[in-house]
Amino acid sequence: MAKVTYITQDGNKVEVDNAEGNLMEIALDNAVEGIDGSCGGVCSCSTCHVYIPEEWKAKVGPGNDDEEAVLSSNEFNTDRSRLGCQIEMNEDLDGLVVEVAPSY
Amino acid sequence: MDSLRDPFEEARKRCPVLSTEFQGESIPMILRLAEVREAAKNWETFSSDAPRRVPIPSEESVRSVRQYPIETNPPEHTEYRKIVEPFFRRPLLPEVKEKLDVLLGKLIGEMLAKESFEVIQDFAIPLQSHALTYLLNVDAKEAETWIGWGVHVFKEGDGESKGAFMERYCQQMFEAAEENPGEDFFSALNAAEYQGRKLTLEEKLGYANLAFAGGRDTIIQTVACILGWFAEHPEGLQFLRENPKSINTACEEFFRLFIPLTHIGRVCPHTTDVHGHEVPPGGRVSLGWFAANRDPEVFDNPNEVKLDRKPNPHVAFGFGIHNCLGAHHARAIMRGLVTKLSQKLKAIDLLDFENHVEVEKDYTRTGGYEHLKVKFQSLES
Repeated sequence: MAKVTYITQDGNKVEVDNAEGNLMEIALDNAVEGIDGSCGGVCSCSTCHVYIPEEWKAKVGPGNDDEEAVLSSNEFNTDRSRLGCQIEMNEDLDGLVVEVAPSY
Repeated sequence: MDSLRDPFEEARKRCPVLSTEFQGESIPMILRLAEVREAAKNWETFSSDAPRRVPIPSEESVRSVRQYPIETNPPEHTEYRKIVEPFFRRPLLPEVKEKLDVLLGKLIGEMLAKESFEVIQDFAIPLQSHALTYLLNVDAKEAETWIGWGVHVFKEGDGESKGAFMERYCQQMFEAAEENPGEDFFSALNAAEYQGRKLTLEEKLGYANLAFAGGRDTIIQTVACILGWFAEHPEGLQFLRENPKSINTACEEFFRLFIPLTHIGRVCPHTTDVHGHEVPPGGRVSLGWFAANRDPEVFDNPNEVKLDRKPNPHVAFGFGIHNCLGAHHARAIMRGLVTKLSQKLKAIDLLDFENHVEVEKDYTRTGGYEHLKVKFQSLES
């Protein structure tokens, strides 16, 4: 099963083995600080904002237009930004490391 | 369903901004989602540092205090908000979810036993009031006092004396907490520090004012609208019973469509061009949350309820740094409510209702209820 690691704003690492679901749901299940997932994954809130390391960007891929629209209004948006709720974990992403983006 | 009509449909097509006025004050209302978001994000140009003038109409006659943290800007806003964040995150705690679940089960059970009931008074106000005790971590008996306050803490009857009554009540709660501190909201604010000093009474009352006023009619009306919609759509109950994974998306759709707050204001400290409308220094702009949530550029068939709508980038809880502190609370209540309704009810019979109608100079919005009488039909019968 796939493993994902979150690095929080405090620099703490949360490692999740056997990760299933999307990166927002997995973060909530594992109490990752800084991920609220307020809207439940409908692209309304950007409280599951994560940064994807350069080396993982190609595998994770870009977000769709709706996701980009929400992220574009977030002041912490960068070219490594994604919404966790829009990234489904799968075997191809085994070993993925994401950084939790700052929030307001 | 009247609440699903969009009074801004034509105006939005013509221009991103509706040139209008409220109580004689010229205030352009921003109508399209992208433009509303941009303005909400730009707090320097569209300021919230405006005590009692963020709501439209202004609340200068109904409360004496600035609401914290919402009526402040960064950098102060950041520290003010941090002080109360732990309370507004309580709905995420499993024990709080459990209490809410028990409350909903009890209330729905009581309503099932009745021949009929009035949703606002008999169900939504008690639900909101009891749920707020969990958020603020205060004794459940306080809910009985709050139930008596009605739908609005300011607006019904003599708004002025009602607002003053609530401020006196809150002051007493802070004094009682000073005498006998606990783990509650009032004790936490008594102990809190801002920029290395204790909060003033005015600041504490401002937090309490937001906690009581901000999430009251909004939650009550959303609950009523959800029940009203299910009364006309029993197939929605069945769909969610069979597809419980869609409950969260269904609730987001209800928030998008039934948003009680048509808009909120911002103050422009300097002369500002708002899509061709000049706002003078000190003048206000309206962020049209409701209109933005019906923007056809973003939402297909925007006036239709799609229980599995995804994505659904609505702004029912605002956007940017001043987004709704009570969003976790509202979501926990509605998700719990919809879960329980779908598990327990076959249908809701609509017996009688009167919609709430918001009449302004350039639009009339029908949304929410003055009263709503229904009967619950048990799934077991």
